Amino acid sequence: MERTKRFLGFVLSFPGIIWLTLFFLLPTTIIVVYSFMTPGPYGGAYLPFTLKYYKMMITNQGFWILFMRTVVISVISTGICLALALPVAYYIATSKYKNFLLSLVIIPFWTNFLVRIFGWLVILGNNGLINRVLMYLHIIDKPVSLMYNQWSVILVIVYMYLPYMILPLYSSIEKFDFHLLEAAMDLGASRTKTIFSVLLPSIKGGISAGIVLVLIPVLGSYAIPDLVGGKDGAMLGNLIARQLTTARNWPLSSAISMIFLLISTVGLLVYLKFGEVRNRRNRVIYEDYIKEETNKIG
Amino acid sequence: MKKLLVFVMILVSVVAAFSAQKLYIYSWADYIPEEVIEKFEKLYDCKVIYDTYDSNETMYAKLKAGARGYDIAFPSGDYTQIMIREGMVLPLDKSKIPNFKNIDPEVLKKIDYDPGNKYSVPYQMGSTGIAVNTKYLKDYPKSWKIFEMPEIRGRATLLDDMREVFGAALKYLGYSVNTTNIEELKQAKEVILKWKENIAKFDNELFAKGIISGEFWVVHGYGENIFYEATEEEAENIDFFIPQEGGTLWIDNMVILKGAKNIDLAYKFINFILEPEIAAEISDYLLLPCIVVPARELLQEERIYTVEDLKNCEMIKDLGENLKLYNELWNEIRFGMW
Repeated sequence: MERTKRFLGFVLSFPGIIWLTLFFLLPTTIIVVYSFMTPGPYGGAYLPFTLKYYKMMITNQGFWILFMRTVVISVISTGICLALALPVAYYIATSKYKNFLLSLVIIPFWTNFLVRIFGWLVILGNNGLINRVLMYLHIIDKPVSLMYNQWSVILVIVYMYLPYMILPLYSSIEKFDFHLLEAAMDLGASRTKTIFSVLLPSIKGGISAGIVLVLIPVLGSYAIPDLVGGKDGAMLGNLIARQLTTARNWPLSSAISMIFLLISTVGLLVYLKFGEVRNRRNRVIYEDYIKEETNKIG
Repeated sequence: MKKLLVFVMILVSVVAAFSAQKLYIYSWADYIPEEVIEKFEKLYDCKVIYDTYDSNETMYAKLKAGARGYDIAFPSGDYTQIMIREGMVLPLDKSKIPNFKNIDPEVLKKIDYDPGNKYSVPYQMGSTGIAVNTKYLKDYPKSWKIFEMPEIRGRATLLDDMREVFGAALKYLGYSVNTTNIEELKQAKEVILKWKENIAKFDNELFAKGIISGEFWVVHGYGENIFYEATEEEAENIDFFIPQEGGTLWIDNMVILKGAKNIDLAYKFINFILEPEIAAEISDYLLLPCIVVPARELLQEERIYTVEDLKNCEMIKDLGENLKLYNELWNEIRFGMW
């Protein structure tokens, strides 16, 4: 019985495994191999194998500036997303109109990504809504430039990725047993303490899922910095695209992607490891506690 | 019985739709008017599948990476040369394109990327220029110098295109847009850095919308994109010009790709595009200089610029390995690196 079940499980997961192998593992392998090759004059990657493009990347100051900018923008945006999404998710999870509010979060997905970016131009542009209102109120006499800088990039990223943070937070808060909050308060914990020591640790899974869902795609942003970023607003994604197309340097482009992949993977592993240790410790404490209590009763 | 009849009818039409000849075109967005495609489909009882790209590089990278199934592509001159060299296009049998004789010989003379047009047929010719929104900027030179005007700070864009921007700076300095002289290129870099101080961003996507709405006052870009999006009223405020120093010249070409399955239909399409009525219709749609001579009498709209305006312009050539020189300098300008 157990065996048939396991076999069935294997059969059912087979298409998924094939899919991942073909469309994830294979392209990733190609990128790894290309990153060690030599570019052709018109793109492509050829022999011999070389470490030249890794060296070129690592020894270049400009690369690190771009790298730091990308990381800083991504971390700030993810932080803002988290800070904004927590209360929203909490409110939705405890609201009577859950489904309605959830659909409001999902509605922006109905509109094309690019159209929504253009929407921000209408609001923030030189002749945009905000500038017009400020000029009408005589607060400014000339439009101020709100667009084409790092802040507009962060703003639009936060706007785009907020739902990806709200949804996992919502699903973990919804499963949260709110009696625990009452219990904590009954036992004399302050409101803040209740939130930080009871609520947040219990929804850690949702928070880490949200961070992963937002941070990793944001690190690879391409269209947003391209459209709302200024003349110095490029992120690593834009450099990768440029090396792949106009510069026709596929190995360098692959090498930069590899660094990305490496950093995302390492970050993810550290996080998982860290989370696991914490979980195990919590479990040990809990088991000890149960044992103690049973002993007491015994 | 009735149900069966409906079923059979659906089946027949589905089969017909699938068996009709198909022509797969890989081209720039909004580059061939839909009416023209419909006329072609009707005339030859076929179906045209129109897929688009936004840059030569994208098209080239996709085809190079092994994309199959396209019959015709529309590369610019430099990429036509590359694709010929790489054996990605088929040699043309000119006897199947009788309308080739309609093309302006002056235009053909400029074609050095495919001498004698053995592989390619020119589709459109034009130049990259400058557009000014005259509602916001009244007094300005018709020169690349416009990008140095302090008044336009934060209100201008340059294309996010290495060869175009270098081309502009090189022409401004009086050099060739295809120079491989490192001293000239370094001077051009300094000019571009000066322009960069003044612009809001390097942009390929927003310049048309931006100049029309007044978001930007001066943009470096393609006139046809701007006038395609502007209403008649909006177009009145827009002055598009080719700077007096000249600029880059481009010719987009029709080529039949290696591995094309519908070669006959592809020849018919290329010939159809060169029919005077059709060429005039396309030209009126794009507002570019018309390169098909007998079509010129049929034009109804005023051109953005004419073939004469292009006299100081120079075609961008493929530089092969020498592209590296441009790349390094452009990376320094754009990303502050290399």
